[in-house]
Amino acid sequence: MADSGGWRPPRPCETYRAEWEFCRSARHFLHHYYVHGKRPACEQWLRDLASCRDWEERRTAEAQRSLCESEQARVQAARKHTLVWALRQSPPADWHLPLPQEKDK
Amino acid sequence: MKHSGCAVNKERHFSCEDCNGNVSGGFDASSSQIVLCQNNICNQAHMNRVVTHELIHAFDHCRAHVNWFTNVRHLACSEVRAANLSGECSLVNEIFRLHFGLKRHHQTCVRDRAILSILAVRNISKEVAEKAVDEVFESCFNDHEPFGRIPHNQTYARYAHRDFQNRDRYYSNI
Repeated sequence: MADSGGWRPPRPCETYRAEWEFCRSARHFLHHYYVHGKRPACEQWLRDLASCRDWEERRTAEAQRSLCESEQARVQAARKHTLVWALRQSPPADWHLPLPQEKDK
Repeated sequence: MKHSGCAVNKERHFSCEDCNGNVSGGFDASSSQIVLCQNNICNQAHMNRVVTHELIHAFDHCRAHVNWFTNVRHLACSEVRAANLSGECSLVNEIFRLHFGLKRHHQTCVRDRAILSILAVRNISKEVAEKAVDEVFESCFNDHEPFGRIPHNQTYARYAHRDFQNRDRYYSNI
């Protein structure tokens, strides 16, 4: 988390509003039910929107803390499963090399 | 792909060929090339799904040490991700295949299609393929990279792209 002096919400407030409304849409309900078998939980987007607007209006430490915690929880949730493979430090060396038959030209 | 160091050049990384059977496409890790089966791809929507599916494999090859030929769990993981993120398991596509289901049916489709994809490229038994998919399913089904969410349609894809464009601001402020 950056110092308050240079900090801003991780997403624009408009993005939190759009995510909340999208989450609550009938289409998203259908997709979520089809994938997960239950209704989506959208309340956190609304809490984040409120924190974002609070930050824009009053620059409170509570708003900053709340947003950081919420987004860190999202990142942790996305990374909670152990990967099946090891990640590379650099892309494959041969990705950009010409195809073998092209080398003979 | 470009952000991961594997910018895609369509002349180098794509090949349109005639294929045996009803295979729609494939990713050849030994040549870093996506093969599109021109005799088996029926329409633009099918083409979009096949290209997305194979690009998921290419993305996995770019970002991870995937042992395509020697580790069936690695292959299973990429096939789960490709089936999950390409759109081939959408409700509409499943209905066209006469596979009816709603609650969590997406996961059933992803599992089944991942197994079929493995069997199409490896000479192994269905039981071995099923075991590999089941072992990696929870981890790989929930790995939505590079999208951050399952891109069910253009709206989801647009939101995913917006998050990608915002990534620098995001990670420097959490």
